[in-house]
Amino acid sequence: MAEDARTRYKRRFDEDAGPETYTIVEAPEDLTPDRRAFLAALGGGLLFLVTVRAGARDMPVRVQVAPDGTYRAFTGKMEMGQGSRTLLTQAFAEELGVPVSQVDLVMGDTLLCPDDGGTWASVTTPVTVPVIRKAAAAVRAERSGSREALVTPDAWTTLGQSVPSVTGPSIVTGAKLYPSDLRVPGLRHAAIVRSPHHTATLTAYDVTAAERLQGVRVLREGDLLAVVADDMTTARRAAALVTATWAPTPLAPQADWAHRFKQTAVAPVEQPRARYPPLLRRGDIDAGLSSAVRRLSSSYWAAPIAHVPLEPRAAVALWNDDGVTVHCGVQAPFLCRQEVAQALQLQPSRVRIVAHDSGGAYGGKQRGECEIEAARVARLAGTPIRIAWTREEEFTCSYTRPAGLVEVESGVDANGRLQAMRFANYNSGAAGLAPQYDIPHHWIGFFRSDAGVRQGSYRSLAAVVNNFALEAHVDEWAAALQVDPVEFRLRHISDARLREAITRTTRRFGWAAARAAATPRAAGPSASAQRGVGMSCNLEKDARLALCVEVEVRGRDVRVLRMVATGDFGAALNPDALQNQMTGAMVQGLGGALWEHVTYDATAQQTRRLSQYRVPRFRDLPSMDVQLIDRRDVEPAGAGESPITLTAPAIAAAIFAATGQRQRTLPLAPGR
Amino acid sequence: MPLLTLSVNDRAWSGHVPESATLLEVLREHVALTGTKYGCGEGQCGSCTVLADGKAVRACRTAPTAVRAVTTIEGLAKGGRLHPIQQAFLDAQAFQCGFCTPGMVMGAAALLARTPQPTDEQIRQALDGHLCRCGTYPRIVRAVREAAATLAGEVRRG
Repeated sequence: MAEDARTRYKRRFDEDAGPETYTIVEAPEDLTPDRRAFLAALGGGLLFLVTVRAGARDMPVRVQVAPDGTYRAFTGKMEMGQGSRTLLTQAFAEELGVPVSQVDLVMGDTLLCPDDGGTWASVTTPVTVPVIRKAAAAVRAERSGSREALVTPDAWTTLGQSVPSVTGPSIVTGAKLYPSDLRVPGLRHAAIVRSPHHTATLTAYDVTAAERLQGVRVLREGDLLAVVADDMTTARRAAALVTATWAPTPLAPQADWAHRFKQTAVAPVEQPRARYPPLLRRGDIDAGLSSAVRRLSSSYWAAPIAHVPLEPRAAVALWNDDGVTVHCGVQAPFLCRQEVAQALQLQPSRVRIVAHDSGGAYGGKQRGECEIEAARVARLAGTPIRIAWTREEEFTCSYTRPAGLVEVESGVDANGRLQAMRFANYNSGAAGLAPQYDIPHHWIGFFRSDAGVRQGSYRSLAAVVNNFALEAHVDEWAAALQVDPVEFRLRHISDARLREAITRTTRRFGWAAARAAATPRAAGPSASAQRGVGMSCNLEKDARLALCVEVEVRGRDVRVLRMVATGDFGAALNPDALQNQMTGAMVQGLGGALWEHVTYDATAQQTRRLSQYRVPRFRDLPSMDVQLIDRRDVEPAGAGESPITLTAPAIAAAIFAATGQRQRTLPLAPGR
Repeated sequence: MPLLTLSVNDRAWSGHVPESATLLEVLREHVALTGTKYGCGEGQCGSCTVLADGKAVRACRTAPTAVRAVTTIEGLAKGGRLHPIQQAFLDAQAFQCGFCTPGMVMGAAALLARTPQPTDEQIRQALDGHLCRCGTYPRIVRAVREAAATLAGEVRRG
């Protein structure tokens, strides 16, 4: 049921949009109760409600002018480390014609902010920024009586500048309040009694020992069993004293997942206007494959992985006559409002979600599980309630990036050019299916499957798995044809910007020399170590990306020594923040490439603690050179996600160069 | 609930806390200093790092009765002026979500107190128990290096 609301919500924002026109109104007189609450919460000053026509829909923007002349601007987007707060403040400030310090950006509050979509899919830069700029320019024109016009990129004083994070000072002093830091008067703390299983129903429980602790109450509603106390320490201690028995739902053995994905697969149909079209067809795939002079088939696998945001989810819920307010850190506050309303059988107007800047999310905080729990327990308890998930809960009560199987079959012509490719992704997703290569005959599709476990969004979604399979396959062809992998790629790339990103990267890396120096036959620094270099590229979400890596392999240990990368995201709206994002995404990609995987037994997730889950640390840090190509005249692309797709295939290629072993399964070095 | 007495950021604090409370829970829930973060509860992520009697400890694995004086991220800036490590993190924009930053800064403070001029390798080793899921490690190394240089300059100037 929740899935349907989610799908419906996402579809509203699913088609890419560019801003076209706008209308501007001052606060309307005919107010609904919802609107009255909104204006009361807003306080005084002049309010502009602007609608920007973007593609097929109207995008709302709100700007308030305080009596002292400073601006408050509102967006339903939220900040999770990707830099949206600073970037959107820049966008407002640039077009309002004021410094960044004159704009206070209110984010993620469903009462105050317009519903301009969830924070996902790297759309803040390409969609939200243009809408906000247009609206802010309209407000400026309205106030000054001048003609509305956007500031041209050559005249930018705020956009295009490396404006430091607007919350930086509060981050370094510890003053910044994250969702887990929020407290309200009269707050009580709840710990949920969890089943050890992935999915289970409550059959019996005994709370006698728990309720002996001072001030403890145990509350139950269906399968929700919550312990409430005056402090979290006592609540958790009491929850551990509750004995409960559960009837688990069995899970399919993980070793059989690939088989299960194919058995339950639903073939894709063409949806060309979808954000992630699940089927891409060109030419005649059967004829292209059968007339090829040489063919190659490979299959690739990627394990499910966890997001591990450093801040586990937390929510504070409080009820009053108007309904429930939930303070939290979700990525999609308006979707969360629907989820909470549905779970508690309320009108959405009686639910207010306030999404505060969150301690990491990476696609892992798109759903409202923790928020629903807080709202339910607060209603049962009759007091404000705080729920803060432990790391174990964050691992086991959330969802994983889906596992994926990719089967590729392809063929080349007499000139060593790829002429046909059949590419089938099972279960992991349709994002990033479009190849960066010109292949005259192709059939590229995503088969939806039933995994039997909770799975969901992840930074760049399936583009990680799809680019791993594509790039690994292309690398296999280069080796089979004995062509330099860079040269082989360039044969199939017509996009001039991607070609430039690749050639700049290989030049800075010293590709030819590094490749000659590090081969399986050349001795490394010690007899047992082998070195190799590899590269990857991508044209994903309008970004042009290239990466070269050098690795050292000792037995089953893989160490990345060097990463040289180039990103062309069009106009760099905040170059330093962009460089930070690109670097961070590639570092995060090391984990999924080399070690990260979540395991399950017959009923439960076995990966439950950080000590059981190897993530990138300082010791893994390669020497890094990450540079941008800034094109002021080109529409900007989002950068939070796409660079993570570079890491795994480049490392796999470098491992092959070092050892002659072709690895087709992520993670590449499990158990290290 | 037993009475606990602590010095927190050079000020005496006392209060009744649950017997099993960790130093992290005492700081966050009872002293109401939320700059110190919970990340994993098993000493694996470094988010809860504070200085206890001058040494960096994981507050999630420390009994409050085992320490006398605690310095948290809130106690690092003096006289309204950022500590050089905080300033260096700000200058390098060595964060994204910022959730690891308080622990990183405290870990760096402990490192620079015992090794005022660390090499990059020493910085990486000393902070290896600190996790940044956003992957800003290169900037953190740079920030700690810059902070060391600033602190050395302050020492020279006396």
